[in-house]
Amino acid sequence: MNKKDIAARKDIAINKLKSLGDKIIEDVNQNSVPAIKVPSRGTSNLVYDEDKRYYILGDRFGQRSLGNVKQINKIAQMVYMANFCKDLVRRSKTATLREMYYVSEGWDVDFGDQQESNIVGEDLEVTLGMTREDLGLMPEEDGASVYGNLTVREDDVEINALKSGKSGYTISPTIDDVEFIEADVKRVIAVETMGMFHRLVQEEAYKKFDTLIVGLKGQAARATRRFLKRVNQELKLPVYICNDGDPWGFHIAMVIISGSAKLAHVNHDLATPDAKFLGVTASDIINYDLPTDPLKDIDVLRLKELLKDPRYRDESWKTEIKKMIKIGKKAEQQSFSKYGLEYVVDTYLPEKLDAM
Amino acid sequence: MEREAAELFEEFKELTASEFFRRNKQMLGFSGKIRSLTMVFHELITNSLDAAEEAGIRPEITIDLKRVGKDHYILKHTDNGPGIPEAFITKVYCTMFAGSKFRNIQSRGQQGLGCSGCVLLSQMTTGKPAKVTSSYHEGDKLRGVEMTFKMDVKKNQGLILSQKNVETKSSGVSIELHFKDVSYSLSEQGAYEYIRRTVIANPHTKIRFRDPTGHKYIFERATDIIPPLPKEVLPHPRGVTADDLIFMAKHTDKRRFRSLLTSSLSRMSTKRVNEIQEVTGIDLDKRPKDMKWEEAEKIVDLFSQMDFMAPPTSGLIPIGKEQIEKGMREILTPEFVATNTRNPKTYRGGVAFIIEAGITYGGESGRIVGDQKRAEIMRFANRVPLTFDQGSCAITEALKSIDWKRYGIRDLDNAPITVFVNLVSTNVPYLSTGKQSVAPEAEILHEVRQATMKIARSLQKYIRAKKAAKEEALRSQLFESLVPVVIREAALLAETDVPEYDAVLAKVTRRAKFEGLQLNSEVEDE
Repeated sequence: MNKKDIAARKDIAINKLKSLGDKIIEDVNQNSVPAIKVPSRGTSNLVYDEDKRYYILGDRFGQRSLGNVKQINKIAQMVYMANFCKDLVRRSKTATLREMYYVSEGWDVDFGDQQESNIVGEDLEVTLGMTREDLGLMPEEDGASVYGNLTVREDDVEINALKSGKSGYTISPTIDDVEFIEADVKRVIAVETMGMFHRLVQEEAYKKFDTLIVGLKGQAARATRRFLKRVNQELKLPVYICNDGDPWGFHIAMVIISGSAKLAHVNHDLATPDAKFLGVTASDIINYDLPTDPLKDIDVLRLKELLKDPRYRDESWKTEIKKMIKIGKKAEQQSFSKYGLEYVVDTYLPEKLDAM
Repeated sequence: MEREAAELFEEFKELTASEFFRRNKQMLGFSGKIRSLTMVFHELITNSLDAAEEAGIRPEITIDLKRVGKDHYILKHTDNGPGIPEAFITKVYCTMFAGSKFRNIQSRGQQGLGCSGCVLLSQMTTGKPAKVTSSYHEGDKLRGVEMTFKMDVKKNQGLILSQKNVETKSSGVSIELHFKDVSYSLSEQGAYEYIRRTVIANPHTKIRFRDPTGHKYIFERATDIIPPLPKEVLPHPRGVTADDLIFMAKHTDKRRFRSLLTSSLSRMSTKRVNEIQEVTGIDLDKRPKDMKWEEAEKIVDLFSQMDFMAPPTSGLIPIGKEQIEKGMREILTPEFVATNTRNPKTYRGGVAFIIEAGITYGGESGRIVGDQKRAEIMRFANRVPLTFDQGSCAITEALKSIDWKRYGIRDLDNAPITVFVNLVSTNVPYLSTGKQSVAPEAEILHEVRQATMKIARSLQKYIRAKKAAKEEALRSQLFESLVPVVIREAALLAETDVPEYDAVLAKVTRRAKFEGLQLNSEVEDE
């Protein structure tokens, strides 16, 4: 995003926050009891959008009325938080959820614990249809590591992800404020573990495949998913994901591709429906004769759950999941080392990429 | 060396009642220092109440307890009763088994040992004489006499040491006694608690009490109504023994046994007498004095198999629910009171009784143990507090068997409530000689439960309403504090002035009252 886009996004955020206040004041001026509609985030209100290929929220919503004992507290918390966020956005600052929780100590309304303030934060997100990053609220943890020939600008500093040390460039939680300046790559390969990330860096995979290497560090953070979506959309780069061959690896990939259920209200900013899963698949386990571990009960249970999930409706996914249950085995990415450390870069990845 | 029988029997003596009880004072309830003093209070107060009520006087008692040494007290007890005529003073205070209560009548005391027992205890522990001032009407004149005396236990009579006439202003009796080996206590078993409970169950009574520290308590009367005197009722056939029958036969002026039965027992018709004659084959036309023990036994056996009407209940005088409420309100100053007097019932098929119950919540209800309020159970038999042997008492057993959770009381032990139960009967089935706990007769247990559960329901309603009112107040408070906050912050957010919101606030607080009835519009599924 360039500076103009960033400024525009800020204006939208401020206007949306203000509209929340307007709604309440308008109700008061008309002598009616103010109420805010908050889209319901329950599982019963999750709809998988076949066209968009990710989860979105349905039409159901809850009411936060000033005339209800339970709801008035939530309305007060929400309005206070909106003011806090408006101030953050206007001053181009960010705060972590935890910082906001502590700031709330000085307010005329209490949060029982941080969990409660986090929930009100989500309320604000769904009501306004904006990510919390747009509202200046940041998660505690950093995003993933990126290695490869990409140049970004954070504030006035230009950073090249090839020259940021062996651990690469760390995706900032404020990724929407980062501008992509230049990219000389043809694709993005995201891997589940930092072990595999370092393997790919050492074997110079970024050169061989003209790629950005992204180390996800397990379940991808919101900033990481936002980053992947942006490189996919803004730089038109295909995204490939390479994870462990087990239900958990499958799902890390799927959340990047089709978004999570919990964040359905912001999936339009986070999901990358065109991203592709490279492996490790059940077929890979058989074809490459990989060293395996037996599936545990919980793995089988999870695989069966995935079969019912609409995100896995593709035949290719269903076949792989069923196959894994049938062979009863799982394998880690690193198991390719059986054939030597270089094997994954020299043989496996080229073969898989060719097949895509 | 062998001794002759006559020689052995030289030491054989006859024991008077006084001498017997001197050796067995625990049988009078005088066991333990605290209990002994409580029993003294019991005997003296009971006597004063009975005397005043019989004379139609509203009882007023003044008690002064001084501590003069370790476990050594001087008790001065003064009442406003009719007084005791000079000739009867030593009989009342020095002769065991004298009195007017050996009848089938509802009464506070039942042994006739009362006052003389106190004099005996005083004399046994201190050797000091008793001092009594009695003032009574003789014709139009008020006579006052002051007497000091001791009890001659061997002869079961009084020994007057001094006597003089004194000027008095009103009728009544005052007695001063020294005691050792007794102890004043504020515990549930102590003398103070005894007085407090007495006043609750006898709301027509006023008691002034100065305790050993000099603190003066005044328990005011809550009503001016003196309870009617209990009437004597004929015993019910189910309630008599063979020995009772023989006793009646000996002391009757009837000529035939048949007429003795119909005149001495209740619910005994000629038809029933004929049935008895038919079944037992005993000639009931013979003279009562010719009745043999075996025959009496046969008749009593038959009584238990025959159907009789329930005994008459005219002899039972309950305190009455209004009077109990007054008493409890006066002493416990509670937030809530409910009382209940049940209809008469019988136990063992032939003894009539009435259960009365009261429950209070808040105020001085309950007992403070440490920094916690515990529930307090007040047991009474014919208005007399039962303060000992709580654990074995049928009243306690019945109360504990109630599922208090159903009435909004989580557990009986830890609720700020006082439960009052009075058992009214001509014949209270005590478990032991101390007369402090009631035997677990099934009918009594049932009645105590029924009486208490009814008032517990009222209490539950009250507690619920109180809770609702409190929540309501909290709600209004919540709205009044949060509505301005929300509107102020919303105005800040919209970057506009704070609008006039009185109308909205009024709407919201008014709505809150009906909220319980409204369906919640929230789709809550997070």
